[in-house]
Amino acid sequence: MKESKPDDASLIRLIARAKTDALNELYDRYRRLVFSVALAIIGDLQVAEEVMLDVFVQVWQRAGTYDPEQAGVRTWLIAITRNHAIDILRMRKSRPEANSINWDEVSMPDGPSKHGLEEGLQLSMEREGVRSKLAELPAEQREVLVLAYFKGYTQSQIAEVLKQPLGTIKTRIRLAMQKLRKLLEEE
Amino acid sequence: MNSMAETNHVLELLPAYALDCLDKVETRQVAEHVAACQYCRTELRAFQEVAGQLALMAPEASPSPELRSRLQDRILSLQSTRAEPSASARIRRPLFGSLRPVGALLGLVLLLVLLASNILLWRRLNHLEVLAGPLGMRAIVLRNTAAAPQASAFVIVSSDGEDGVLVVDQLQPLDADHEYQVWLVRGAESTGVATFSVDENGYRGMRIEAPESLIEYSAIRITIEPTGGSQAPLGSEVLHGSLFNP
Repeated sequence: MKESKPDDASLIRLIARAKTDALNELYDRYRRLVFSVALAIIGDLQVAEEVMLDVFVQVWQRAGTYDPEQAGVRTWLIAITRNHAIDILRMRKSRPEANSINWDEVSMPDGPSKHGLEEGLQLSMEREGVRSKLAELPAEQREVLVLAYFKGYTQSQIAEVLKQPLGTIKTRIRLAMQKLRKLLEEE
Repeated sequence: MNSMAETNHVLELLPAYALDCLDKVETRQVAEHVAACQYCRTELRAFQEVAGQLALMAPEASPSPELRSRLQDRILSLQSTRAEPSASARIRRPLFGSLRPVGALLGLVLLLVLLASNILLWRRLNHLEVLAGPLGMRAIVLRNTAAAPQASAFVIVSSDGEDGVLVVDQLQPLDADHEYQVWLVRGAESTGVATFSVDENGYRGMRIEAPESLIEYSAIRITIEPTGGSQAPLGSEVLHGSLFNP
């Protein structure tokens, strides 16, 4: 009989009780996603690994403060990862080009998971779902989402980089997020 | 009191706020509004979920296999720090050093209860910010700001400043992208020592684990920062107080 695995929120509760096995399980579930996000933002393998270590140490130290009413575990974990990576990026005052998002990739199928694991497959399917929704946005809207999310630019900085009026950028971001929300809710 | 929040929603700013790409002034405006407006908080959560989906766009990559053992080493070292504090370590000592007979602990618990039950009365009296307690302990009432007008908080510091407890009440729960961060101030330098969230009643009690004795610091501040904490206090301040008179 297949043994059922604890859900993410249960793992966090166990981590709050200093159960290292639970931290290992959470690491297995999210190591690829956390590392991918850190690397996409930082663009440096070694620094991305340091970010990842910090993220899971923070999870270990702060699991007791996690509030499932506020966000799902994945959203929480990604928020910690992105905030930490963006902090480092802003301190360096540079934006890497390496491993940055190329929107050509968005419309390309990712193929089956390299890892062959159940979670990996599920993640690949989710990626594909989100990519197909994003592909429905105009290119200029996708572009501002990437600059904001993965490069940590403010709206003013995006306006500067793209040489567009600030009002135009604000409208693009708002419309992009509203449309993406609608598309994802239609699923 | 809610009329401002109800009539001046920040819906147009929420998508950009969820992406953390607003300028500082707008970020503060949204953070303050959302803290007081359930409707906008709900809308924000929806946009934060959308923003979270963008993470899936990151090109797939895997960390090196050695990273797991490095993480395990870090966790082990944290555990050993907790279990076996060195004589010189100032942090992670048992609460209030080694006063430690049962009677003293009971006294401490009673003191905490008394302090907690009297905190609002203190604030109403507004005559005392620092109260000397038994065993040389000090209780310090923090002042709230316009960003958290209902909030109350106090800090209890042991006589040698090595241990401290922070209790907050009626702080608004924050969205998933933000947390409260505790800062200890010395001169022009602010050191972030903890991040925390609150329960549905806005309550949280926690130890303050500082790199130096609390006596070394002149003030304590609590601000709203991105989840995971900031390198410097940039967000809205919700509470502040003097620790030891500069």
